[in-house]
Amino acid sequence: MIRLSRARLALVLGVLLAALFAVVLVALATGPARIAVGDVFDVVVRGAGSEATRDIVLGVRLPRIGLGLLVGAALATAGAVFQALLRNPLADPYVLGVSGGAALAGIAVLALGGIVALPTQSVPVAAFVGGIVATGLLYWVSGGRGGSGATGLLLTGVVFNAVASAGIVFLASIAGFFEGSRIFLWLIGQLSAVEIDAVGLVAASVAVGLVVACVLSRSLNLLALGDESAAQLGVPVEAHRRALLLATSLMVGAAVSVSGLIGFVGLIVPHALRLVIGSDHRLLVPATAITGAGFLVLSDTLARTLVDGRELPVGAVTALLGGPLFIVLLRRSQARSRLS
Amino acid sequence: MRPGMIAAMIMTRTKAGPLACRRRLRALGRLRRSGPLTLLVMLLCAASGSGPARAADESTRATGREASPEIAPAPASHAAAPPRPADPALRLVSLNPSLTAIVVRLGAADQLVGIDDYSARMVPELADRPRVGGLFDPSLEAVMALAPDRVLLVAGLEQEAHGAALRRLGLAVEVFENERYEQVLGNIARLGRLVGREAEAADRIAAIRALRAAVERAVRGRTAPRTLIVIDRSPLYLVGGGTFLDELLHAVGAANLGAGVAQGYPRGSLEWLVAAAPELVLDLSPQSEAPPSEAPQTKARANGSEPSDALAFWSRWPSLPAVKTGRVLALDATRISLPGPELDRALRELAVAVHGPDIEPAIERELAKRGTP
Repeated sequence: MIRLSRARLALVLGVLLAALFAVVLVALATGPARIAVGDVFDVVVRGAGSEATRDIVLGVRLPRIGLGLLVGAALATAGAVFQALLRNPLADPYVLGVSGGAALAGIAVLALGGIVALPTQSVPVAAFVGGIVATGLLYWVSGGRGGSGATGLLLTGVVFNAVASAGIVFLASIAGFFEGSRIFLWLIGQLSAVEIDAVGLVAASVAVGLVVACVLSRSLNLLALGDESAAQLGVPVEAHRRALLLATSLMVGAAVSVSGLIGFVGLIVPHALRLVIGSDHRLLVPATAITGAGFLVLSDTLARTLVDGRELPVGAVTALLGGPLFIVLLRRSQARSRLS
Repeated sequence: MRPGMIAAMIMTRTKAGPLACRRRLRALGRLRRSGPLTLLVMLLCAASGSGPARAADESTRATGREASPEIAPAPASHAAAPPRPADPALRLVSLNPSLTAIVVRLGAADQLVGIDDYSARMVPELADRPRVGGLFDPSLEAVMALAPDRVLLVAGLEQEAHGAALRRLGLAVEVFENERYEQVLGNIARLGRLVGREAEAADRIAAIRALRAAVERAVRGRTAPRTLIVIDRSPLYLVGGGTFLDELLHAVGAANLGAGVAQGYPRGSLEWLVAAAPELVLDLSPQSEAPPSEAPQTKARANGSEPSDALAFWSRWPSLPAVKTGRVLALDATRISLPGPELDRALRELAVAVHGPDIEPAIERELAKRGTP
C-alpha cells in the first residue's frame, strides 16, 4: 500500500472534485429542451435568462442533479464499505439485497399510506429500517465475520432480492393501480421523482453516513485485513463495525426511498477507483463518494437525453453498465479461489 | 385506493399486445406506446419469472366476435339470476370496466353474472356481483364456475392470453378494442346487440354523436389552447396521439401537445413538459385531489372558485403559461378517461375545462338547433 500523504489525498480529491464539477455543468447544460450553454450559464451565474429557461435549469435539472449526487455518493460509498467489512469484492447494496430490503419496507409504508395518513418522512425512515434489517440478516448469515466466500453471500443476496421483489409485487397487486405504477418506479430505479418533499431528511442521512464512513476509514483498512489483526492493532472491532453498518444502512435507505432500486453503482465505482488510486480506504472512501455522485449524475444525464422527450430509468443505464463488470469480477474471483 | 387513475389506464387498450415474459426484451421498445398498466404487467411478469401470457399466441387475434353459443357449457348449477324461460338473456362475465359500464348503461346489468375487481370499483352498484379477480389476474376457475355464455374482454395486454385460455376451456369469448373513439361507439353497438338492447345502444351512440357535433360547432372559431392531459405525475404519463382522449381533446377544440411526444400514453419528461409551455394542464392524476364525482367539478374549477391542489403542484414551475393564467385543472379521471358509455359527458366536461362554463349554453343551443335532446 502506498503511504498516504496529505498532498496525495488533496491532489486526488481535488482532481475528482474538479471532474465532478465538470459533470454537473454538463448535466446542467444538457437536456431535451436544448437550451444554449450560454443561456444556462446566464441563469446559473447571473440569475438572468427567460423564466422558462430558469424553470428548466433551476426547477427541473438542478433538483434532479442534486438528487443524483446524493444517491450516487450514498450507493457507491455503501459498496466500498460493504466490500471491506464483508471482505468480498462482489458486495454492493443492490446485489446483497440491502436496497431490496429498504425498498420493500418503503413500499410497505407507501401502500399503508393509502389506508392511514402518514407523514411523507415515514417512507425514508421505513426504508432505513428495512435496510438495517437486511444488513443485519446478511451479517448474521455471513457468520458475523464476513469473508464467508462469495457464493454464500451472493446466494443470500439472491434470496433477499427474491423475497423483496415478491413482497413488493404482492403489495403492488393488493394496492391497486396508483400505487402500482409507483411501485414499478421503485423497482427499476430512477431520479425523475417530482415529489421530493423529504429531500432534506435524505440529504441529512447521506451526510451522516458519509461522515461516519470517512471518520472510520482507517478502521476499514484494518477490518479488511481480518478481525484478529484489526483487534491487535487497537480497533474496537464490534463497535466500529456496527457504526459502519448502521451508517451504511442509513445512507442506502435514504437513497432507495427517493430513487428506488438503482443497481451496481456500489460495484463499479469502488472497483474502478481501486485500480487507479489503490485500496487505502482513507482515500478510497471520500473518492468513492465523489466519483459515485458524478457517475450517477452522468448516467442520469444519459437516461434523460438518449430518447427525445422521454425518460429512461437511470437504473437501467447503471445496470447495463454494471452488469457486465459484475460478471468480469465474478470470473476473476472464481479464478482466484481456484488458485488458492 | 382512489379510483382516479383507474379509468385512464385501465380501460384503454394499448397496442402493446400481449406481453409474454419470454418477449420481455422486446418490451422495452413497447414502453413507447404502452401505458402505466403495461408497466405494471411487466413488473408482475418480471418478478414471477413466468407469466400466464405464455399461452398467448396469434390465435387470440381471431376474436370470437360471433362465437357460437353452442360451445358454451349449459348454465348448470348457479343460484344467481335463474334464466327465465322466455328470456334469451345471456350470462355475461366482464373482465373490463369500460365494457361493464356499457352493459350497465344499456340496462342489462342483470346479465352480468361476474365482473373483475376494477369493474366493481368503477360501478358501485355491481359491488354485490361475484368477482373473478383483477384485470390481469382473473381466476379462470372463477370464470368457469360462473358458467357464462360470453366472456367480455379487451384486446391487448394480458387479457388476450386469458381469452385464449378461456376459449380452450370451451367458453365463448368476445374481444373488444377500445383505444379509439369510433371503436368505443362500435363497442356500444355490439354490446347492445349482444344483450338485446339495440335501441338503447343506438340512442346512446346518437346522443354521443350529437353532443360531439354540437361541441364541435360550439367551439368553432375559438382559439385552441395548447393542452396537456397528465395521467400521472410521478412517474409522469401523458395522453399521446392515437387515443380516444386525443380525439376528444381535438373535438372540444384543444391542441394536444402530448400527441407530439408519441402515440398511446407515453412516459413524459418533466423538462419537455416545461419547455412545451402548455396553456392548459388537465391533471387526471390520482394525487390531484379531484372533488367528489357527484359535483360538476369542472365548473367550479373553471370559475376559479376552488383553487386545486393540482395548481399548487404545477406552480413549482411558474414559467408554465397554464400556471400563470391559473389554467391547471384537476379533473376526475373516472368521468373523463373511461372509454365507456359516457363519452358525451366526457366531451361536455372537457369542453368546459377548455373554454370555461360559458361554453355550455353554446353547446345547448347547438343541440337544440338539431332538435336533439
